[in-house]
Parts: sequence; structure tokens; C-alpha cells
Amino acid sequence: CNNLLDTEPTDRYTIENFWVSEKGTVGALTACYNSLTKTGTFGGTATVLWEETATPNAYNYDNSAGFNVIALGTHTSATNSAIINARWNDAYGGIGRCNTFIARVGNSPLDDNLKGRMKAEAKFLRALYYNLLATYYGAVPLILDEPDISQANLPRAPREEVVQQILKDLNEAAEVLPTRYTAATDIGRATRGAALALKARVLLFEASPLVNTGGNMEKWAQAAIAAKTVMDLQGAGYALYPDYRALFLLANENSSESIFDVQFKAPQYGTGFDVVLRQYNTVAPLRDLVDAYWMRDGKTKEESPLYNPANPYANRDPRLDQTIVYPGAMFRGATTSTSTYVNTGYTQKKYSIYDRETNNVLPSISEINYMIIRYADVLLMYAEAQNEALGAPDQSVYDALHAVRRRAGLNPWQLPTGLSKSEMRNIIRRERRLELAGEGFYYTDIRRWRTAETVMNGPIYNHAGSPILVRTFNPQRDYWWPITDRQLELNPALEQNPNY
Amino acid sequence: HELQKNGSINRSVSISFQKETLESAIRKIKKQTGVLFAYDPESLHLEKLHVPVVSFKDTPLSQVLEKLLTPNKIGYHEVNNTIVLQKMAGQTKEQQRAAQERRVTGQVTDEKGEALTGVTVVLKGTTRGTSTDASGRFTLSIPNGAATLVFSYLGFITQEITSANGEEINIRLQADNQALSEVVVVGYGTQKKIHSTGALSTLEMSTKANQPITDASQALHGVPGLWVNQAGSQPGQDGATIRIRGIGTLNNSDPLVLLDGIEYPISEINPNDIESITVLKDASAAIYGSRAANGVILIKSKMGRVGENNITYSTSFGVQRPTRLPDVLTDPIQYMQMRNQAVLNEGKLIGDYSNEQIEEYRNGMGANPIVYPASDWFDLVLEDGSIQQHNLAFRGGVDKTQYNISLGYMDQKGIFIANDKANRFSLDMKLSTQVTDRLRVGGSVTGNLRQFHEPGYGASTVMSVIMRGLPIFTDTLADGTYGNTWLATPGRNNIENPRMEVQEGTIFRQNQRFLVKLFSEYKLPFDLVYNVDVGYDKHDRFSKDFIPQMYTYNPKTGEERAFNGSAPRVRDWSSNHLNLTLYHTMNWNREFNGKHSFAAMVGSSYVGFDNRSFDAYTEGFFDNQLTDLNAGSTNQVARGQSSKDRLLSYFGRVNYAFRDKYLLEITSRYDGSSRFAPANRWSYFPAISAGWNIHQENFLQNVHQISLLKLRTSWGKMGNQAVPLYSYLSTVNTGSSYQYAFGNTIQPGAAITNYNDPDISWETTTSYNAGLDVLLWQGKFGVTADVFKRRTSGILRPVGIPAQVGNLGGPQKNIGVVDNTGYEVTLTHRNTVGKFSYDVLASVNYVKNEVVDLNGETIISGRRIIKEGYPIDSYYLLQANGYYQNQEEIDYSATVSNAVKPGYIKYRDINRDGKIDGDDRVITGKSMPDYTFSFGINLNYNRFSFNSFFQGVSGISIYPTANLAFPFNNGAGITRDWIGNTWTPETPNARYPLLTTATGGTENFQNSTFWLRDASYLRLQNIQLSYSLPEHLLAKIKIKKLTLFVNGQNLVTWTDFKLWDPEQDIKADNLYDYPMMKTLSTGLNVTF
Repeated sequence: CNNLLDTEPTDRYTIENFWVSEKGTVGALTACYNSLTKTGTFGGTATVLWEETATPNAYNYDNSAGFNVIALGTHTSATNSAIINARWNDAYGGIGRCNTFIARVGNSPLDDNLKGRMKAEAKFLRALYYNLLATYYGAVPLILDEPDISQANLPRAPREEVVQQILKDLNEAAEVLPTRYTAATDIGRATRGAALALKARVLLFEASPLVNTGGNMEKWAQAAIAAKTVMDLQGAGYALYPDYRALFLLANENSSESIFDVQFKAPQYGTGFDVVLRQYNTVAPLRDLVDAYWMRDGKTKEESPLYNPANPYANRDPRLDQTIVYPGAMFRGATTSTSTYVNTGYTQKKYSIYDRETNNVLPSISEINYMIIRYADVLLMYAEAQNEALGAPDQSVYDALHAVRRRAGLNPWQLPTGLSKSEMRNIIRRERRLELAGEGFYYTDIRRWRTAETVMNGPIYNHAGSPILVRTFNPQRDYWWPITDRQLELNPALEQNPNY
Repeated sequence: HELQKNGSINRSVSISFQKETLESAIRKIKKQTGVLFAYDPESLHLEKLHVPVVSFKDTPLSQVLEKLLTPNKIGYHEVNNTIVLQKMAGQTKEQQRAAQERRVTGQVTDEKGEALTGVTVVLKGTTRGTSTDASGRFTLSIPNGAATLVFSYLGFITQEITSANGEEINIRLQADNQALSEVVVVGYGTQKKIHSTGALSTLEMSTKANQPITDASQALHGVPGLWVNQAGSQPGQDGATIRIRGIGTLNNSDPLVLLDGIEYPISEINPNDIESITVLKDASAAIYGSRAANGVILIKSKMGRVGENNITYSTSFGVQRPTRLPDVLTDPIQYMQMRNQAVLNEGKLIGDYSNEQIEEYRNGMGANPIVYPASDWFDLVLEDGSIQQHNLAFRGGVDKTQYNISLGYMDQKGIFIANDKANRFSLDMKLSTQVTDRLRVGGSVTGNLRQFHEPGYGASTVMSVIMRGLPIFTDTLADGTYGNTWLATPGRNNIENPRMEVQEGTIFRQNQRFLVKLFSEYKLPFDLVYNVDVGYDKHDRFSKDFIPQMYTYNPKTGEERAFNGSAPRVRDWSSNHLNLTLYHTMNWNREFNGKHSFAAMVGSSYVGFDNRSFDAYTEGFFDNQLTDLNAGSTNQVARGQSSKDRLLSYFGRVNYAFRDKYLLEITSRYDGSSRFAPANRWSYFPAISAGWNIHQENFLQNVHQISLLKLRTSWGKMGNQAVPLYSYLSTVNTGSSYQYAFGNTIQPGAAITNYNDPDISWETTTSYNAGLDVLLWQGKFGVTADVFKRRTSGILRPVGIPAQVGNLGGPQKNIGVVDNTGYEVTLTHRNTVGKFSYDVLASVNYVKNEVVDLNGETIISGRRIIKEGYPIDSYYLLQANGYYQNQEEIDYSATVSNAVKPGYIKYRDINRDGKIDGDDRVITGKSMPDYTFSFGINLNYNRFSFNSFFQGVSGISIYPTANLAFPFNNGAGITRDWIGNTWTPETPNARYPLLTTATGGTENFQNSTFWLRDASYLRLQNIQLSYSLPEHLLAKIKIKKLTLFVNGQNLVTWTDFKLWDPEQDIKADNLYDYPMMKTLSTGLNVTF
């Protein structure tokens, strides 16, 4: 009679009958990539764009994903900021999938070469997810085994240990991963270049003042070498895409500039970029960002004779018009007025399908890939690290910057020669802010530079220069995100970050 | 009995008389027939009278007597098998007149000869009647000639006496010992009530007659030991949750419901087809073992009776309206000013609406209400609902066969102005017949077709949208298109027009369910009876969700805005369930020496659930016209699944009673479930109970006041297996949630998403009960009291695990031990005074819930905590402690963040670490009531009856959040009670803190005691007046009975909770449930 009670699930596999097929194994790795599309990582409605609103670049009147409370410095561990909760969860979700894959792939019937490559992909992804944790929360529990309840009470590992593991995973991945994939159906998989570029980003963060408190120059040199390795990578074919605006359009996905992207796909899964940028106006650029743009001659608006306060948007760095919609700009076939985008007077066009031409399509799901790392970023990483590593910038620093500025359409794009390290630092930081504006990198930049306490304290202004509200940044607290109360409840061994 | 009572006079006799006295002739008749004679020898002197020589053959006794008596001027009549002889007098005119109207007098006593007061005495077939006085005497004028009087009294068997003449009628009414012969429904059978040792509550559905009950669960309000909670009255979705004697967890606490022995959901049973509902509250449920831990509800459906062939029809019609809606601010100017004030208060430097905009609005309002509306969305999209019910039944029995055919129809129109309706067609057909002396077989088909519509986004979403509607939103433009607004409001990026969401798109759900049941009972030698029951429960569901493409228009510019993406879209979903129940029992009953009464039963049962479902989804429709899947073309998705669930059981019961005084019952059940790993699959559930009928003891035999005095006690173990299927297995999920596109081509993915505990096993409840049943003065007063303790160990519940473990969902786990202890007391009083009778019923339940063992752990989820020493799922909140009155106070206090400003809520720094965080929370308030109580008063006068029923709970808290619970929550509006009631330096102790938005002033809206609300209430749940038309009028049109009624449901609720109806889903803290309704209905019941 016992047999009568033996029933098996018929709509899902069990851990016993899953890892026996090749396709199942491939599918398990696919799920590791799927974690890139979560709210807490690089997906959701517009997580990466909203992250701009925690910086002087933009304002979110609606606290979307909880970034406005971070901008205000009023975020707490009680999860008044959704992203602080989601990033932790989704990063660990991806890590769990990668750990399972790495632990189980050996027993699968796949070809050994393929197994090796796929394992390397999983290690790259694991490193990427751990880097999210190490960049925002600092020290976190370091778990490399298949999820098990015994991991539930592990405390936070020292941050250095987590970073060492990230670098180890990236080194191992870079050794195995191909520079390019030959099959069209493999586009989007992690490459050697992706692993090396992520390594450069990790090392740049480690060299930066936030964590490199001792000012160890060697760390900058390591970061510079890592970035240079990507620039010199044979066979990868990385290059700046000639048209800055078009780089962020669907037609030019996976271009020569792209190093590692989230491969969004509508209608199955995607983002709300177009809705957010055109309709919600929840990434409303601030006057501070607009003012930061170079004039067309590559000088600041204060220095350049081209600046006309009566028409502040004329003769600017072309990237301003290619990134931001401002009052008076032609957008979607009409002239934008000061009340079209009420929150600051501006909206962002980068990463949306909209430009000057009439376009009334409003996709609820946008599928433009998000570039987690693109080549311009690598060039700027190199310039920054190399400038810091040396007593004064060498030609390679200039070259890297010139490439970016030239593509931007600045004329002249060349920088004055003989800049001091500090002058060059300011230019690199501004260049980085402008080139990557609207892409969600600036929040981490101002934290690693330890400039957030300066630029995030004080009022923010709309297009007309009227203050909207006053932001605060507590340097004793806000450089790192809190561990949420929920996680502390579930695992009392976790320690909270200082001053939360 | 009836036939013998008055049949003597008609019996045939063969007798002959010689020349003899009348006295001797009577003696001869008496001797031969046994018929008794009564007469006054002093006045009749029979010994002096003579009879003719005559002989009779097969002649009716009446003819014989006439032959003998008439010549002697003696009359006769029969009373109670006794023939009374009286002198016949020559009649005067007065006597003739008196003869047309005569008076009967007499006295009514109980069996022991004590006078009964208030006994109703009615001339049969008329309304002429009286009642007995304090000494039990009565006088009644009746027409001359033979007439039948009916004597009725509560707690006694109604007696009819035929009076032929003016004699005095002295009768003794027999106590209604139904209590002795009455049976109660128990697991796998019935039992004499006097032998029952369990804590049972029985609801006779006749007591809920004419109430607009749409789901049978609603009828259980007020049943002792139950907490019945109905979350809203959405047509088709208005079943109540039932909790018996507390709860073990907030999940899976539903009792097992059986319809005539077969598991069947209460929502699928037409309340009109239910005869009675019996709730097994203690170890008496243990015979159902693995699923009895939450109590067992046994529903007995109506069946015909031999000799009573009735056609009944009942109908009612009612109108419905929400009991309570939030009092929302609908003045747009005041709304904008308050919102501006709120954001300025929380630190913004500019308001959300500029002064120019407000001024423009103010000036435009009169002339252009489309651009400058003052929308009251509750008013715009809600209207009165209606409900009608029809029930037709044919019930009866002929010879050895009983039948029941009943049909029901219910139609409900909800309160949304569109897409809100439900109907139900129900059927119950039963036949049972005695095929041979040994074999009885029967079968039934019970089923219904229920369907309902709700708006495309679902009723709860639409409720939230209505509660999010702002007065500045335009209803419709001049051309009828849906408006949005020309103003920008933070939080409102995509304007949800409530009218649009109500009217556009629809969800259609159809439920078709049939239970086919067959049974047979076969009498074997040695008093053995074998039963087989098979239930085949087929349940098919279909649903269609259609969301069209919706557009809103800027009322000022006319600009079109596509409201929704991925539209039009359709999801069709179909599921198919087949539940097979098979059980057989062997019963044995025997009495020895009239003292020892034994009963035994053994049986086994098998229950199998086979479920299948699939759903398909598509987009790519050209417009909003067609909703079939084939009419769409893009993003097509199909999914499906199947599962099996099995339960195998062996069980038995032994009863012993000694002289009906000392009672003992033992039950056992051994259950195996496919829900657990093989090693944890089987479990044993024993129970034992005892009773003592003290009133049967000799020392109480002469205490007439006590009709029943019984002590009961029980102990037993019961299980709960209610975890999702395969909770013990680690499963790998596939599907769209794991896919990824390489080279722009979707590739399938698979992942583990839940951590499962392979060791989970039964949740076990050990139940202890002691009870007392008392009936005094033949039922005039009754008391039932029970005390109980239910210890539930290995409580099954999903628990969270830290996200670092792969961000997996937590396992279903056996987490600990919870006690529910409490008592129930029910008091009844019934009485009759003349034509007036009344009864009063009151009951109160108390349950104390306490977590007693959790291995020292604490489980926190959201606002709730499970911790040893506290009720399960208590609220766990910061403790509000007034407001910060000034900056100085903030500077010297712990704060929840650095955004705190004067006028914000202050929280207590419980652990004194200088900051307010999760460690400062206190345990307070709970999600289940201490007390549930109810009382009803029923009055009957002549043909009128008046019924009222009140019910309520106390000691329960709710934590309303979100739209309208908090001001300007995520772009929503505000309720009027915030106006003028917020903190200012001048009003430091205002009801509410400094006005901020819920989204921007999160410091005020921390989970804290400030927002915890007492949800105790008392409700007049039902009030009814009915009138039965006189039978003699109805008889002319061949109607046996006709009753008209008016009924009011939920008309008045007393509570401190003003925002919403206090009876709501305890698991949901937002107020997005469909509202609770009050109903005013009228109708009639007719029996042919």
C-alpha cells in the first residue's frame, strides 16, 4: 500500500534527476545570467538609471527603488530603500545559482572543454555579483559552495577576502574564456575581455581613496595594468563606437565598444527605460550636471568664450544634447518647454528610443541592452589609474582621454599639455562624469573618490536654478549601505555597518 | 400510538347478550375487548338498567353501544381509549345554544404531576387557543361536538386530545426525551446524543432561514468555539475563514469540511441545501486523524422524510451597500494645499503644485469641471449592489424510499459600476432506498456552477486604484474618453483612471463542481453492518483575464497617453481536479442486559487528489474586440502542470455505555500521506473520551428541575499535513523566470528557488477538553460550557532564511509548539407566555494563544513576530511615544533617521543605544481575537416572528497601511480626519503627527504602535421580521405554508476602527479588499 503514496513531481525536476542532461546543465548556467536582469542587479524597471538620482547628476522625486532616500541621506536599515534590500538579495541569488552550477557541472555529461568554459562563465558572473556586494555593502558573507542551510549563520568575511576571491575568480575565468565567441547564439556570454575589464574595475575601486586609505600607489599601478591589458587584448577588437548617441540605440547593441552587456529581450523580459525617461521623468537631470558639460571647444563654461548665459544650452559638448533633453530642445517632434518635464525641466534621452524626431511609441518593455562595461569606461579607468600611479600624467593618459573626447565631438579635443597630476585628475573625473552620465556609474565614483560628502551635501537645483530640496551625506555612515534589518533578524551573526 | 388512541369505538366485535343488566353487559364487552369504560355509577345506576336480547357479528362497537345505551338514555364518547358513559338529557333551547359552543376545562401537568404554566392549548385547525395558568389550568370555548385540542409546550412532546363532550381534560405531557433519542452526526456515522462525549457544536440551518447568506461559511458566525472572519463581500469571493479554537499558524488553519461524509468545500454547497452543520472541536475530530488538527466540520444535507412530500420554494431580493468606506478629501484645492504643506513640512523647498496652478484651478472650477474637477471616486465608480436568490425543492419519501431534488439560483450584482457580478446554479439530487431487508443503497449528485466577473485588473487592485484616485483627476472628457490630469503629482507617473479600470477589461471565472456519491449499507449476521461510501468530486475551473489597450487623455491638451503596455492581452486558464474518496466501515452495536451498550467500528479510507491545469497567454490583438487566444498573435506563452496527492488511512472506534450513565469512547487512526518523505509518512492519532450523565443517577431522579446534567472529557491527538506538495524535495524549476537571450535568441534556464527541508513531518495537535451540559426546567434554561487546551507541536510554516543562502525561499518547517487554551460558554433560555414565545441565545469564546517552545529562536516577518511566551504572529513594532516638540528635543533624543523634524513621531529607545532601529521594537497586539461573542434574541407572537443576531470580537489588532491609511501614500490622497488634526507648535498633542507624505516622511510611518488599531467590534449581523399567513386561508389555494419576511444584514457595526470595516483579512494589512456589504432584503417562503 505504500506504493500508493509514492508520488513524484511532474512539473519540475528534482535535484536528483536534473543534472543528467546536457541541456539541463546549459539551462542552469543560463539561469546564472538571468540574475543579471533582476531589480537588485542590472534589471528591474530602471535600477541602473535610477542610481543616477543618488548623485548630483539627477533627481528622483518619487523615491523609485529607494534611491531618493539614499540621495537625502535618510536611508535606514529598516528598508525604506528598496534597492538596499534588493541588491543584497539578488546578488546572493545570482551567487547561489553560480555556486550550484560550479559545484554540479562536473557531474554533467557535457564535453570537458565546454564544461571548463561554462564553469569560467559562472566564475565571472559570481565575481560580478560579489563585486556588487563588495562595492555597496563592503564586507559580506563569502559563500562559494552550493546553497545549504548551514550557510545561514555565516558572519561577514573581511572585505579584502571577498575582493581576493573576486580577483581569483576573474583570473581563472580570464584564462579559460574565449576572446570572442564564434557562434551567433553565444553573443552575450562572458569573454576574456569582460573578465579582464571587470578586474580593472575591481582594482580601480581598491586603489581609490575610499578603501585605499593609506594611499598605496601600487594599487593604482595594478589597476592601470589591468585596464591596459584590456586595451591591448588581441583579437577582441574593442573600439569606441563612432556615434555617441547611436551607441545607446537598439540597432547598435553588442557593438565594438561593448565589453559586457545585459542582453535584454522584449517582450519576454526587459526594462522600463523608455517609460521612465519619457513619461515618469523619475531620472530628472539636475542643473549641476548640465553645467558640468564642456563647451564645444572642450573648455568649461566658465573658461570658454562660447558660453552664453542667455542660451546656456548652445555651443555645448555634443554629448549634452545626446544625453539630456532641456527646455528649448527639439524632442519627439516638438520644442520642449519648461513645464514639459516639471521635476527639474530636464529629462534623459540616453538609453531611450527618443530623440528629436516625432516618436509616439511608448514601449512598456524596453529591450536595449545595458552595457555593464564599455570600452570608453576602460579607457577612462586606465587614464585615471595611470594618472594616479605616476607623478604626472604621461602621454598614455592623454591618449586615452583624447580618444574619448574626440569621439564625443569636442573640437579641439586635445587637452593642454603639461597638466599637473591634480589638474589632470579633475579633468578625468569630469570627463568620466560626462561620458558615463546617465549610466549609473557616478554614484560609485563619487563614493570611491570620497567626494560624495562634498557634492551630496546641500541643495539641488532645477533648470531655472531654483532649489528643490537639500541633500545630506554623512561621511561616517553613507559611504556604505546598511545590512537590512531583515537580514540581521534572520542571521544575528551579521554585523551592521558603522553608524546605522 | 395514534391509531390505538381513538380506535376502540370503531373496532368490530361479535357478541351476544341475554336478558341482563346494562352493568353486566358493559362488563362483558370490557372482558371480551379490553376496552375500558368510565362512568359515574352513582348517577347512572347501570345495575338497574336492562338490555335487550340481541347478538352482533362483526359489528362496530359503536353500533353495539348505541343499541344498548340509547334506549336507556345514556350517551357515550371515547377519550384516550376509554369510553365514557353519561346520562343523555332532554335539551332545552338554552342547552341547544350552549351545545353549539361548549367550554372545555382542564389541567396540564408534567409526568410527575406538577402543573405546567404557559402550555399552549389550541383547537386543531384553528387559531382558537389559550394557555394554562399558574396552576396549569385552562378554559377554552369550542364548538360542540367532537374536537381535537393540541397541547404544546417547549421541551415536551406535543399531544392531541379529542374531546367529544364537556368533560374535564386532565393530561400529563411527556417530557420531550429527544435528548435521549436524538442522534448527533460524528465521524463516519451517527451517535446517540446522550452517548456523545465530544465537544460538538451543531448549527441547525433553519435558524438562519431567510438570511442573504451567499456562502455557507457565513452562517457559522456565532457557533460556539469558532472564529469566523469574512474579508469583504465580493460577489463570488465572499467565503469566510473559519478558525476553530484558536490558530496554530496564520497559514493552513482551515478545518476539514465534509459533506455527508465526503470532503467537499463549504463554498460549493448551496446554503439552502444544508440541514445542519456540526463542528467537532476537540478529540472527537481525531477519527479524521491527519487533517483534524484544525477541527472538522460535518455538513448534513437536507433529505426527504417518508410520509412528507413537500414542494418548497423560497426567494429573496436585496440591495447592498458597503458597511464603511474611507472618508476621503475630495476638495481639489484643499487637497493640493495639504499636499504642498506636507512636502514642505518634510523638507522640500518647493511645493508639488505651484501657486499659479492652484490659482488657475480655483478660477477654472466652476466653468470647466472637466479640466478642473472635484472627483469623488468612491461616488463615481461605486453604486448599490443587488442580490436575489431562488430555491426550489421537492423532498419526501414513499414506502422505503426517500428522495430530494433541489435547485438553487443566486444572482449578485456587486457595487462596482461594471464588471462585478456573480451567479450560482446549484443542484442537489439524492435517492436512498431499502432494497432488501439487509441492503440499503443510495446516491447523490451535488453540484453547482458558479461564475463571477471582476474588473480586468482584479477587484483588489481596482479598490487600491479607487483609494488612490485624486480629486484632481478627470473622470471623463466631453467625448466620453477617460481623463487623466494636466497636473504632475509625485508618485503618479501613469494616471490610473478608476472608472477606466473598472469598466475596461474583465476577469471571468467559472467553477463547475460536482460531487457524485454512492453508498450502500449491508446488514450481516451477528449485528454487523458493513458500509461502503464512494465520493467522486470533479472540479473544473476556467478563467479568462482580458486586459484591453487603455488610453487616458489630458483634459487640457487632449494628449493621448497609452495607459498600459503588453495590451490587449488575454490569459486563459483551465484546471481540472479529480478527488476520489473511498471509505468502508464495519459497525457493530449491541446491548447486554439492558445495561451495557457496546458499539464498535473499524474502517479504512483512501483519498486521492489529481490536479491538472494549463494556461495560455497571448498579446498582439489588433484592437479590443476579440478575446479568444487565436485572435492574438504575439508573445504567446503556454504553461501547464499536474500533481497527485494521496492519503491512506485506517481507523477504528469503540464505545461503551453503562446504563446510559457512564460513557467511554476510544478512537484510533493511522494515516499515511504522500506529502512527506517515506520515512516521515505515517503517523498514529489516538483519542479517548469519557462522559457521565449525572442526571441519570438515582440521587437526581427526584430533582425535577434538572433535565440534563452531563460531564464530558476528552484527550486526543490530531494531525495537520497542510504543506505544499513536495515540500520535502529540492526541486529545480524551469520556465520564463530563468531564461536569457544569447545572440538575441531566448534560451531556457533552470534554477532552484526554494530551500526545502527533507525532514518535515506532521504537525500534531494534542487536544484536552472538559465540558458540562446542563438543561433545567425541561429546557427552559440551558448551559453548555467547555474548557480546552490544544497544544500544537511541530507547527508547519514557511520560514525565511537569510538571503546569503542563494536568496532562496525559506522551507516549510516544523517550527515549534503553540498552545491555545480557552473556554466556551453558551447560555440558552426559551419560554412561552400565552401566544408569545421567545428564546435568547448567548455565547462567548475565549482563546489564549501562546508560543511555548521555539527552540529559543525568534521568527520575525515584516511587522509580525513569533516568539516564546507571546501569541503567534504578534505585532512587533516600535513604540510610539508622542511627538518631538522642537529641534532641541530631537538633538538630545535617539531618532530613526536624520530627517526627523519637530512634530514627527517619537519612538522609545528601548535598548537605550542612542538610535531607533529594529532592536527597539516591542511585542504588542495580535491578529486573532481574545474573545468572540454572539447573542441572538428571537421573538414569536402569533404569526409574527422577529429574529436578531449580534456577533463580535475583541482583543484583535489590525495595522492598516498604504493608500488612505497614510496620507499621500505613493501619490494617493488623504482622509478628512487629517484636516486640522495634525501637529503644529500650537497643537502639540494633535491626533496626528506633522503632516507629511507617507512616501517622503517615512520616519512617521515606521512600523510602530502609533498606527496599530483595535479592530474589536460588535455587529448587528442580522435582523429579521417574518409573518406566516393563516393556514386556513392558504388551504383554500392548496398551500401548506407561506411566510413573508424582511431581513437586514450587517446593518449596524460598533467599533473604534473608523477607516474601514473592522472584519477584514487578518493577513493583509492594506485596505484593498472588496468592502463588506450591508444588505436589506425581502422575500417569501412557500411550501406546497
